[in-house]
Amino acid sequence: MNRNSMPGKPVKAIKSVRLHGGIRPPPFKTRSLRSVIMATPVPEHLIIPLIQYGGQIAAPAVAVGDKVLKGQALTRIDLEGICPIHAPTSGTIEAIEPLPVADEFTTYQPCVVLRSDGEDCWTALDALPDWDTSPPEDLISRIHRAGVIGLGGAGFPLAKKLHSLQGRKLETLIINAVECEPYISCDQALVRARTADLVSGIQILRYITGATRTVIAIGNNKTDAIDALRQHLPRTEIRLVTVPPDYPAGSEKQLIQRIVRRQLPRDALPADIGALVVNAGTAYAVFRAIVLGQPLVSRITTLCGETLATPKNFEALIGTPVFFLLELCGVDYQRLSHLLCGGSIMGHTVTDLNVPLDKTTNCLIAGSEQEFPTLPEPMECIRCGYCASACPVSLQPQLLYRHIRAGALEQAEQSGVQDCIECGACNWVCPSHIPLLQYYRYAKYELESLAARRLQSQQWQQRFELHQYRMARKHKSKPQQKPDDRIAGADAAIPQFDRNQARIEIAAAVERARARRENLIASSAQAINSHEPLTAVRKTKIENPHQ
Amino acid sequence: MLWVIAACIPAIITATWFFGYGMLLNILQCGFWAALLETIVARLRRQVWNGLLRDNSALVSAILLGISLPPGSVWWLVLLGMVFALLVAKHAFGGLGHNPFNPAMCGYVMLLLSFPLQMTAWHIPMAEIRYDPLFSPLQFESLTTSIALAFPFLAPGPVADFRAVADGLVMATPLIEQKLAGNSAVFAALDSGNSLFSRSSGTGWELINLGFLLGGLLLLFRKIISWHIPVSVIAAVAVMSILFYSDKSMNVVGSTYLHLFGSATMIGAFFIATDPVSAATTPVGKIVYGLLIGGVIYWIRVWGSYLDAVAFAVLVGNFCAPLIDQLTLPRIYGHYRRTGPWK
Repeated sequence: MNRNSMPGKPVKAIKSVRLHGGIRPPPFKTRSLRSVIMATPVPEHLIIPLIQYGGQIAAPAVAVGDKVLKGQALTRIDLEGICPIHAPTSGTIEAIEPLPVADEFTTYQPCVVLRSDGEDCWTALDALPDWDTSPPEDLISRIHRAGVIGLGGAGFPLAKKLHSLQGRKLETLIINAVECEPYISCDQALVRARTADLVSGIQILRYITGATRTVIAIGNNKTDAIDALRQHLPRTEIRLVTVPPDYPAGSEKQLIQRIVRRQLPRDALPADIGALVVNAGTAYAVFRAIVLGQPLVSRITTLCGETLATPKNFEALIGTPVFFLLELCGVDYQRLSHLLCGGSIMGHTVTDLNVPLDKTTNCLIAGSEQEFPTLPEPMECIRCGYCASACPVSLQPQLLYRHIRAGALEQAEQSGVQDCIECGACNWVCPSHIPLLQYYRYAKYELESLAARRLQSQQWQQRFELHQYRMARKHKSKPQQKPDDRIAGADAAIPQFDRNQARIEIAAAVERARARRENLIASSAQAINSHEPLTAVRKTKIENPHQ
Repeated sequence: MLWVIAACIPAIITATWFFGYGMLLNILQCGFWAALLETIVARLRRQVWNGLLRDNSALVSAILLGISLPPGSVWWLVLLGMVFALLVAKHAFGGLGHNPFNPAMCGYVMLLLSFPLQMTAWHIPMAEIRYDPLFSPLQFESLTTSIALAFPFLAPGPVADFRAVADGLVMATPLIEQKLAGNSAVFAALDSGNSLFSRSSGTGWELINLGFLLGGLLLLFRKIISWHIPVSVIAAVAVMSILFYSDKSMNVVGSTYLHLFGSATMIGAFFIATDPVSAATTPVGKIVYGLLIGGVIYWIRVWGSYLDAVAFAVLVGNFCAPLIDQLTLPRIYGHYRRTGPWK
């Protein structure tokens, strides 16, 4: 968002070794790590969201009624920058329509509904086991066609990230397996169980980027994963870096600073300072995409929380409905009160159990009331400064809070609210239980809309001035025209205002609007009802834990 | 907040030991008025009244004010101080978290400026008058005297004027005596080896200060306060007093030891200047704030006419805190320079 430098412009280094802030919440990972990664059975219906990074919608390449094979592209693969989406299993396209998805506000987004035929039959795969003979551009294009995006949470297309190098030399390739947020354990499970495949995925990335140094970063408390890596890494040039189990040690900016010993300038991309951070799950997806030729149709995701009898890590197909996964873990619907998508700090509440698993869902927490108790009413900020010492980007949250509460958004901007990485560490430490992060999000949103309004008013002013200029020019060229006559004629053309007539027209318009709205509701209800198993909406009390 | 109160306990015990029940009575009085005033405020501001002292911050203010007042202060003096501290300095500004000045110190300074006579009457019930190693200020006799002083209408007979009771022995801290009388009994007491446990008020302050130091270290250890402010306050006072000390000087400025342990420096450094609401909050800002307070403490003590320098210095620091914060914002991740006005 803040990137205003030219692509490829060299940036000045900010040397800094000391990392600021961070918190150490209890990890809650042991329960889900007790078992191995389990492949889920194929559900009857899969809902594949078409929404992409940055809110773009991928254009469908299939129509309702088409039969597709597993791994066949559902969207067009020729579009620049939009990652294609593939069929997670073989079956028939039943619908392409808006359905609820697990984004922050559980909104309706265009989805492809796929009815499984139970065969789970792969399409012809273009495997490339000897990748080191192909040019890197070819591999990047394969990665794009396989629909590989960042699996750490943000979902940035990997091919786009690799393109951001633009032929520059990469100094450090960082594979991020830190996974610092509580509850999430999918990367740890991946690293310890599929080490060899992961390492060859990293080797492919190393080959593509030509990195001089490749490191894999992992939290130093994940001993089993570290042992697995220690067995596999000696034969490679990949170095292992253990980081303290602090939150947010696995955030891109913090990881770059820890390993490259430089801060990422606010208007630069990691590639500008010769670094690239790729999530471990993404590196594994690269292995599958290149060596096996399999597009990204499944991901490893953690299911945890107190209400699950057997929390575990699943290798789940993209598009599997959430309730299907929860039931595989033996969910206790009576106790389920909070369903979080993502970790317990940054995750957001999901209110509809029919939402599908998408490519970025790394964790689902089915929590009980005891696990996520309602926070007490926020008290006044006493400026204790715990938040300032926890902030990983050295903001002064207590001052920002004061500015935002006072409505001084400009001052908040001056004090750096736009640099907030929204990690939520300040919320975690606040003794007064103030939802600080929500205030910063609000301020960011308000500043954004303020800037948009300002731009719009500038445009209007410009348009008005141009209009005036044109009018003046016209007036000069035709001085003989009598404007008064025209106005008199226009007045006559306007029919007399009739109050009763107006009332009738207003009523008719209201009626039309109501009919349109009811129609819309009915059609969406019908759309949902047409998929019987999906609509078993569980009535559970789900509340935002932060409210 | 409860930890702050717990950290005050060693100093409260030592202060009571040296100054008698009057000290404890002050604190109890302040606590009572605090509970009453908070209740009234909750009603007036239509706030939820949850518990006698709500967030306990009023109790902290009460303890700090109570321990700063002369022992056995009369009830209306205490009430007035608490009214000003809680109603005017805190709630009129929006309540906890919105007060720009330390409430306890506002109350103290208001009383000091309005009632100088009562506020400098550090009479010690009997201890100093009947200087006797076996005599304890905690005897029953001392309690009745204290109550009679605090609540004159409860006394059976006419109360002797406290100035008569403690003739010539009025002093808040040894520093005052030092200023007023030069090398007097305080230095004599300090020079003699067994001074620490003699119960004259002059050396009692040493132990009270050690009590505050102990409580302050507890707060530091519990990470309730950060080291920045106490260390910089103490450092500033120490450096100033070392720089300006001269035993040949005509001006009586006091030794470093006297400035640190014979005065209110410790309570100021650990308990009053660290009040987060009114203090600076950025890391560099806290050090600047502490140095400013330490410097002003010494400045007012030595070159000013008031000796209750901590209260004034903390208020000066409170005035500057918002500005200090704005000028000392740290460099944000990914920025080349510091943020703030001189960006």
